[in-house]
Amino acid sequence: MTSAASPAFSGKWDGSVVRVAAVGDIHLSPDCRGLLRPSFETLPLCADLLLLAGDLTRHGTVPEAQVVAEEVRDLGVPVVAVLGNHDYHSGQEADVTGVLTEAGVTVLEGDHVILPVAGGTVGVAGAKGFCGGFAGRSAGEFGEREMKEFVRAAHRAAEGLHRALTEVSADGCAARIALTHFAPVPDTLAGEPVELYPFLGSYLLAEAIDEAGADLAVHGHAHLGTEHGMTAGGVRVRNVAQPVIGRAFALYHLPLAARTPDAGQTSDRT
Amino acid sequence: MNGGESEYRIARFRDRLAREDVAELGVRVEVRGEAILLTGTLPTAGRRDEILRLAGAELAGIPVRADLLVACADPPDRPEDLS
Ligand SMILES: [Fe+2]
Ligand SMILES: [Fe+2]
Repeated sequence: MTSAASPAFSGKWDGSVVRVAAVGDIHLSPDCRGLLRPSFETLPLCADLLLLAGDLTRHGTVPEAQVVAEEVRDLGVPVVAVLGNHDYHSGQEADVTGVLTEAGVTVLEGDHVILPVAGGTVGVAGAKGFCGGFAGRSAGEFGEREMKEFVRAAHRAAEGLHRALTEVSADGCAARIALTHFAPVPDTLAGEPVELYPFLGSYLLAEAIDEAGADLAVHGHAHLGTEHGMTAGGVRVRNVAQPVIGRAFALYHLPLAARTPDAGQTSDRT
Repeated sequence: MNGGESEYRIARFRDRLAREDVAELGVRVEVRGEAILLTGTLPTAGRRDEILRLAGAELAGIPVRADLLVACADPPDRPEDLS
């Protein structure tokens, strides 16, 4: 397995881990063109893939998406993204997705992508997710139409993530990553006002992660939160909102496990 | 100004920050005694100035203290090992 000393950011690589770079909430617009590009250009030296955890733009417009596209085009590592609530703000999420896709970004919403890396394959299941709150403190599907729609949106979002993660597990990926914008656990919200927690994430996402299985969950959205958390089922959660990580991206070395297709449940639940 | 009025003005300022033209949900607005404290991290110095300008306009007459950071855009110096 991995040696205790983390290999430096050199080209030498033993393939026992996948090097995951991740950032969310970069909120770019034409006034920040080129802001992250110099750092992103170092990615081929230190990472196998880049995850973007939503809120890539300020208002979800096409010109803003074009700025994002130029920051990540032809980086030399695969780029996988989910959109965030800001990217939906102008009702142009399909166009935003189109601009990013044209720049080579895989944009996920209730689906997954499998990427080959040195020591195996990595599966990323992605969905924006939604809010609604955490176990024991969440909104219920009852009453006014608006309230029921709100709660149903959270359920639909979690179902999309569950489906995508199940597909990743069925493929026997050596590392399984859940990528969302909204938070699956309250742990990584510490620092946010408690009153806002119901708007920052949903326990339904964590439930999907624990049920379908994952090795790492990455999210954004909580700018004032903290980086580290864990689901009830023991899956590590990382809030990579840029104000939280305080860098152009965070970097995680995730061990690659030996799994065979349709045996995602070898070690954990059956 | 009386306390009630300033409370609504602060709420209005928070709303304005969350609204379309600004879209900065990462700025925290808190009452500290007689003053308003702004904390949070913005992507650029320009965005920070924009927030300060807005605070000056919406909260005129209320002392504003700002401790707003500009996000670091450097790569990390080490990875986290998740083994
Ligand atoms: Fe955000
Ligand atoms: Fe967000």
